[in-house]
Amino acid sequence: MTRALLTRLAHGVLLAACALTLAACGHDESSGSSAAFTPTPEQIARGRYLTKAADCAACHTAQDGAPFAGGAPIASPYGTFYGSNITPDKAHGIGKWSADDFYAALHDGNARGKRLYPSMPYTSYRQLSRADTDAIYAYLMTVKPVAVDTPANALKFPYNLRFGMAVWDMLFLKNALPDASAGQSADWQRGRYLANALGHCAECHTPRNVFGQLVDAKPLSGAALGRVVAPDITPAGLAGRGWTAADLQTFFSVGIAPQGSAFGEMYPVVHLSTQYLDKDDVRALSVYLLGDTPPAPQPVKAVNADAAQLAAGRSVYLAVCAGCHGLVGEGKPHVAVPMNGNSTLRQANPHNLLVAMLDGIKTQHFAGLESMQAMPAFASTLSDDELSQLANYLRATWGGQPANVAAADVKALR
Amino acid sequence: MTLAQSAASAASASAAAQPAAQTSAPLERPLVQYRPKALSLTINGKAVGPLQVPEGLMMIEFLHEYAGLTGSRLGCGQGICHACVVILDQPDGSSEEIRTCITGAHFFNGRSIRTIEGHAKRNEAGEVVELSPVQQKFLDHFSFQCGYCTPGFVNAATVLIERLARAPIAKADVESAIMAALDGHICRCTGYVRYYEAVKDVVMSTPGLVKDAA
Repeated sequence: MTRALLTRLAHGVLLAACALTLAACGHDESSGSSAAFTPTPEQIARGRYLTKAADCAACHTAQDGAPFAGGAPIASPYGTFYGSNITPDKAHGIGKWSADDFYAALHDGNARGKRLYPSMPYTSYRQLSRADTDAIYAYLMTVKPVAVDTPANALKFPYNLRFGMAVWDMLFLKNALPDASAGQSADWQRGRYLANALGHCAECHTPRNVFGQLVDAKPLSGAALGRVVAPDITPAGLAGRGWTAADLQTFFSVGIAPQGSAFGEMYPVVHLSTQYLDKDDVRALSVYLLGDTPPAPQPVKAVNADAAQLAAGRSVYLAVCAGCHGLVGEGKPHVAVPMNGNSTLRQANPHNLLVAMLDGIKTQHFAGLESMQAMPAFASTLSDDELSQLANYLRATWGGQPANVAAADVKALR
Repeated sequence: MTLAQSAASAASASAAAQPAAQTSAPLERPLVQYRPKALSLTINGKAVGPLQVPEGLMMIEFLHEYAGLTGSRLGCGQGICHACVVILDQPDGSSEEIRTCITGAHFFNGRSIRTIEGHAKRNEAGEVVELSPVQQKFLDHFSFQCGYCTPGFVNAATVLIERLARAPIAKADVESAIMAALDGHICRCTGYVRYYEAVKDVVMSTPGLVKDAA
């Protein structure tokens, strides 16, 4: 708590500094030209594809809301942001915006003079080519205009002082993001653009520093923004959990691979974005994540653990898990993913495993006719002891991870 | 099936499991065979067990093969259709449905459940003398055709009725409460409307379930 207060205090000081800077500069942020823009049908089609690749809908389309009319809440440690209305409605959306304005928003976080927060990932979109932002703009201008106001962000002080973003941008906005993998091939280059610019993977998968900026030294090494932690997707992290390029491609195209299914915030990413990527782009994405010379996928290590603890965990598994996940962790097609070699079990941090067991996972529909049945929440069925025993049995048996989960770890996540 | 028969089949199951256990490893990971483990529970108010039951056996199999209670239906076998649900009675007096096709028998060790066989009143010879209100209304409303899903619907509706008796709801909320309570239950004869009407009939005609019932 004290640390959080200190952080906010530090942020307040930074903000005061930027207020002075701005005052001194007499910064003028009025929008530039509004040159005539006549898109071609090819450009619009391309923009439609890019809009999916950039996953704009994730934040700009609310559940049960009109496409791109905004209102989807984005919870963060700073408060709740709301995706804005980006339909071409002149009063509520971006109908008055020029292609230049649109580029400035994606490239500089400057929405016609208003500083955007990096919840809008201009920090990643900055790397988009002008041709691509124009295509996205062309597509969005063809979307049905919707006259809906965007809810006001509900941010804590001092984060609610938007002008502070000008200094934040000055300090932290970079032209390129660091790479977690090594490569030079055309696929790797294309994958870098897909992952770092369009897909904005780093926004969730790269840890953030005290001012909310991405940590350059640890690209894609995993971060905790929401209830489900974004895992380590560096080449070593992926290979350590058994991922191959082919399995990653299946995961992006379908949402399910032998290592498990997309859940938490990754589920809508697959649902709204990656499943629409063409084969070449999916391949490129997998090449970028693993690098031109991918590390060998690691087999599950044998783990020694306390037999009594494992026996207790196995009893819990047989009582409430084995019906769907199988007696030997083999899973059931279209019902439940295998536990044997499951990527979440293989994470060193048991966080996501515990969250899945406590909260359950809703029914998930994937590309084609694939789906996974709802997993019940066990928060009220199983005690902290039972859940920790179960987690240890799963980790030691199928995850190659130590049986080091304590009842207190479960309690902390309730 | 009598208790003696149950014990006999438990014994044969455990005998079958024994030869497979060649090694005496402290713990087998992952489990590749069933090993017998004692199981005691209360079913429809009667104590059952301890029986030696292979750990990992699903509850629906235990009910059919060990307890001799064949009224609970195995439908999809994967937790979707809810034909197999039984009522789990909690120590605090509340109760909930639980799917026996995906829940291991040993989950119920020391717990108390009700199955479809436990709803009607019986005489000393075990013959049904009076149906439960839910069962009777299902008959009155011709709610079911093939009847395969009916045990699940009876259990779901009974859990709802008992919950409303503890915490009555407003009249305006009755239909949505019934919808929520029966929603998971699938009827392939598609007789849903008559099930829902019958449950509404029970709710409205039983005193104390609806706050503003006139």
